Amino acid sequence: MIARLFDVVRGTDPALASELRLPDADGDAELPRLVARTSATPRLAVVAATTRQRDLLTAAADGAGWRTVGSSADSVDQLGITALILERGISAVLVGSGDPPWADERPRLADLARVVAAAVARRPELDVIVAGSMTDQAGLIQRPGESGEATRGAVLFGPAAGAGSPAGEPLRVLLERLRAAPDDGRTAIVRATRTLADVLDRRIETIEVGHDAGLRCVARPGDAVATEGPGSAIVAAGALVPPDPDDEIVDGILGWSTVARDRHRLRDRLRDLRAVPWGDADGDGALLRMAAARAAVGRILALTPALEPAGAPDLVIASGGVWAVAPGPAVTLALADVLRRPGVSQYAYDHARLLGPLGTIEDEGERRLMLRDLADELLLPLGSVVLAAGVRPGRDAGHLLVNGAGATSELDLMPGGLQLVDLPPGQVATAAIRFRDPVTLGARGRKFEVEVAGGLGGLLLDLRDVPLRFPERGDRRRELLAAWQSALWTGIDE
Amino acid sequence: MTASPSIAAGSGLEVVALRALVRPAPLVWLPLAPGDRPRVTPGQSVLAGALLAERVRDALIATVPADAMAPGTGPGDWWADDGRRHGIRRTRADVAEGELLYRADGEWRLATGARPEQLEAPAAGIVREVRPGSGISLEIAGAGIPGVAAIGGPARGRLDVVGGADGDLRSGSLDVARSGAIVVAGSRIDAEALTKARAMGVRGIVVAGVASRDLRDIAASEARQRASLHRLPPFAILVLEGHVRQPIASPVFDLLLGLAGQEVAIVGDPPILLVDLSAEILPIPPPDRVRVRRGPLAGREGRWIGLAGRRRFGAGVYLEGARVDLGEDRPISVPLADLERFG
Repeated sequence: MIARLFDVVRGTDPALASELRLPDADGDAELPRLVARTSATPRLAVVAATTRQRDLLTAAADGAGWRTVGSSADSVDQLGITALILERGISAVLVGSGDPPWADERPRLADLARVVAAAVARRPELDVIVAGSMTDQAGLIQRPGESGEATRGAVLFGPAAGAGSPAGEPLRVLLERLRAAPDDGRTAIVRATRTLADVLDRRIETIEVGHDAGLRCVARPGDAVATEGPGSAIVAAGALVPPDPDDEIVDGILGWSTVARDRHRLRDRLRDLRAVPWGDADGDGALLRMAAARAAVGRILALTPALEPAGAPDLVIASGGVWAVAPGPAVTLALADVLRRPGVSQYAYDHARLLGPLGTIEDEGERRLMLRDLADELLLPLGSVVLAAGVRPGRDAGHLLVNGAGATSELDLMPGGLQLVDLPPGQVATAAIRFRDPVTLGARGRKFEVEVAGGLGGLLLDLRDVPLRFPERGDRRRELLAAWQSALWTGIDE
Repeated sequence: MTASPSIAAGSGLEVVALRALVRPAPLVWLPLAPGDRPRVTPGQSVLAGALLAERVRDALIATVPADAMAPGTGPGDWWADDGRRHGIRRTRADVAEGELLYRADGEWRLATGARPEQLEAPAAGIVREVRPGSGISLEIAGAGIPGVAAIGGPARGRLDVVGGADGDLRSGSLDVARSGAIVVAGSRIDAEALTKARAMGVRGIVVAGVASRDLRDIAASEARQRASLHRLPPFAILVLEGHVRQPIASPVFDLLLGLAGQEVAIVGDPPILLVDLSAEILPIPPPDRVRVRRGPLAGREGRWIGLAGRRRFGAGVYLEGARVDLGEDRPISVPLADLERFG
């Protein structure tokens, strides 16, 4: 592919090819490369003395991109804990307690430490994270100093699951560092998002839905200097279709589906989608994909409440291959269906998947320079969404006047509906919105004047409920979803 | 051993996903639980059916004084009672050996219990790794036909091709004559036929697709069987294509037909059918043979014509397409990602 690209550049602009020092047609291309890759989500065994503590530890690990499987000494015997740690798919063990330990876990800690120590001694390749006051038992868990074992895992000591603000954040950061390889694509997207927020001077929220995990990053100008800290989470449950989808996941996708399916058939389709994620991308496969994407975004939001921004971000970036097959306006709608935050946001798609590679640039200044240079081409503008909450039902909700590039559009506002105003990519306009009754649009009021940017979907005026409300009956729910979607998806019935 | 059909340069076929018909010398993992006793060592050659381990049923924890252990004993080692008392306290009178779990307060806790079930080698090979309580890694001397999912097993038997590549296996097609066989069921098998197959002593099913609900039910049933006193022999299902209905790919089906009557085995990690394959029966499909693996045309096979570029498909979606001759009046466009070729 790179060779073909070089051929095109040499053929169309030899001077540019020379300036870029492109190799000759038969020469080897040895240009600088940025490499970002997402790997399979590793599994973490979470072990604690009590179920309550295990759940706290699991919550911290869930936001660090691990797929967790937990066990606690109050519900499983030592045999069960040993079997879990010896399971072949486990890559690391997190064992922890409160700091100070809670009364119900204190009597079990020493025995638990011995069980874990014996099990990990049989799997020297495992990384072990000892958290909270469990570190007092570290002498039991430390591995004897043997040299010459290349595959030997590390023993790390971390804070308790309840430590930090928000609670669990320091442990989450430690676990993410342990999980992520230096070229980890998702960590790089977080870094690029932060730099981009600074470069564009915008509050940005990036949502990525991937094959094996999802990502959410909320960044404000000035965050770029802080390479770590609250503001991002990588969630295994945010994968488009997690492995072995349970009833809750299947029902979540069914809830967004516009096609009538029973749970079992849908589960079969989802398993096949996971096995061949780029296959079956047209026809009702495309609709299924968007339903699964909505459900995945919903799961990511549900698992990352601490990241919820105070108001709608200026820019929402969608990332991940799942968005590649649907028309731009349909992608905007899918995101607006789930991100029900009153306000005005621009939506864009990381269509060339450049956020990851650019995020691997170590030097902050160099990264900033590159993102500034590429800012206009980096993201595909999907459009702007004006989402108002508290619009009263009735015939007329108010009036919209859009002024931009010598053209003016006017529209009567329709309560509970979706309306589109044509606004091509690259155009910026001013939208003057006058509501009949006070609504919430960032602030509460009746008159607003906001700047909106164009995109593939233009300006989407969303006066539906916040959060969305659906009919009880499944068929009516599907009809409603289909009606919203068909208005923004050209050729959906083909 | 794998066939590598040559591809005409510039045809674009090289961008189509390649599906390996067979995998030579696959490395399979046979899981163990704490308390299971491995009976092989790394580097050891084994024949099909050789004892690899004894599996414990209802493992429990027993306590043994540390001074009953030989020096240097550690977690995962096997302990057997040497007949001296050592002040042993046991939760059952017949506990005399087990796998050491951990040491606490001058005593060792060990996993023990009756071991009525034997884990046998599904095929001949070399033991590469033995991890007590975790599993045994075995490098198979033959080859394997990969699938996408498997449950149960490992199970071994003679291969019996009952229907066609796109047929359904109904319960009426199964009788005791197929006891001990691994049955190729074609496109689909329902829950009733699965249950009957198991009751008839069939060792395994190879099928293009099974509903995930049926797989889950059989997995639960298999787990109950393992916990029962009177066990049936191991049973396994290998899914070759996916969960949505479609026929077995014709090169794979041809391969299975060529192997009919031979001893084969199903293992779950990775999901694969282990076979003793000679080059003569390895089908070499034409290099331009492609198969639609997903979408409304899933299961159809045809001849590669060439890349079609970015095209509009169902629901107004634009995708990279390919032109394929599926035996109809004229070639049709298929999304490139829906296709696979064989190698």
